[in-house]
Amino acid sequence: MIKRIEDWNYYELLNVERTASREEIWKAYQRALSTYNPDSLATYSLVTEEERILIMERIQEAYRTLRDPAKKKDYDLALLKHSVYVPPKAPFRKSVGKMEIEEVGRKPGFGEKLRRLFGRRKPPAE
Amino acid sequence: MVTRIWAVGGGKGGTGKSFVSASLGLHLASLGHDVLCIDADLGGPNLHTLLGMKNGHPDLGDFLTNKIPTLEETAVETPFRGLRIIRGTENILFIANLNHFKKLRLLRQIRQLKAQDIILDLGTGSAFNTLDFFLSADPGIIVATPEPTAIENSYLFLKSCIMRVLKLYMDHFGIPELHQKMLDQIEKNSQSLYGFFKSLMETDRSYGTVLYRALRNFRPCLIMNKARDERDVLLGRSMADVARKYLLIDLHYLGAIPYDDRVHSSLRSLRPFYAAHKDSDAAKAVREAAEELAYSVEFSHRTPPEITFPEGR
Repeated sequence: MIKRIEDWNYYELLNVERTASREEIWKAYQRALSTYNPDSLATYSLVTEEERILIMERIQEAYRTLRDPAKKKDYDLALLKHSVYVPPKAPFRKSVGKMEIEEVGRKPGFGEKLRRLFGRRKPPAE
Repeated sequence: MVTRIWAVGGGKGGTGKSFVSASLGLHLASLGHDVLCIDADLGGPNLHTLLGMKNGHPDLGDFLTNKIPTLEETAVETPFRGLRIIRGTENILFIANLNHFKKLRLLRQIRQLKAQDIILDLGTGSAFNTLDFFLSADPGIIVATPEPTAIENSYLFLKSCIMRVLKLYMDHFGIPELHQKMLDQIEKNSQSLYGFFKSLMETDRSYGTVLYRALRNFRPCLIMNKARDERDVLLGRSMADVARKYLLIDLHYLGAIPYDDRVHSSLRSLRPFYAAHKDSDAAKAVREAAEELAYSVEFSHRTPPEITFPEGR
């Protein structure tokens, strides 16, 4: 019933509905940033500096997850199942329904894609 | 007829509590309501001046010293139709330190007043008398300005209200030892309210639940006065968000009243700002806040249905 800042779910943190659109989430994120930024008066005398930094990190984390439709879907399902949501960067991830192992390979970057498309550039002639 | 008691408070002086009270009174009276403003600023009354009146008798002191038997008889007409006022007293030394029985008598008589809307203009600070007047009213409005001093005092006022609510409940349930524990933890060891509740939930879950519910029923409102730009307007919303996370209460933000130089000049000419500048942005903001409140009070006081999400298989 009473939650620590660490236990607030992402929607509670950003103060948006679970059905919020991407735009609403973006606006809520901007609002949250302005509330907890170092110059903000709203936290004056009530929130300590450590707490402010902690909540700022959590807000960033919340936005990183909710802006991505795939991650948001996973997160919503985890919330519905009352289970712990582990960010997908972890190599072993408890997914919905069954345990699955994810391969953690480096994703091809833009440069690599280009190289694949056009082949390796020849070394400059001497 | 249901009487609604409004209280306008907030820790710091000069934020515009009396200005908001007077404007709110004039607005409600212009809607055809029977409105009664009470200057409950026992230590420094001046609501009558904001309504363009001189000090004089009868006033609140006459009732409290038993010169006048009922509070109803101390109400006097203002120059504005539908608006009456109970003036504060000049004899502040005696009245400002109101004892418990006089306070209860006053609160009881306020509830018996014949008016549609009663507006309590409260004083500065977080004295028990002020807190009890604030808590007895519904809605209670906190007026803050976008300055660190006002914000600090607003949070302090809210914290004091919360402690007072919790104490009243603890007295009611006959658990004074818990009250002592709360004072020890929060005041001496400067633990947060959240920390206190967390430890209470671990040791005594039933009391924790009851007290937490009591806290959720405390729903003050916030008005940001003297807002000069968009950032000041948003500050009120941010404060509501911070209060929900750190003080565990629903702080309802009613909006901002823009800064207006003419408030000063209308005060000097003893003409209420709201009556003189009805079309100003500041007057409009007062109207909007009152409308927002009237609209939302109906809904916010109904407990929403419990929404449960389907359990996963």
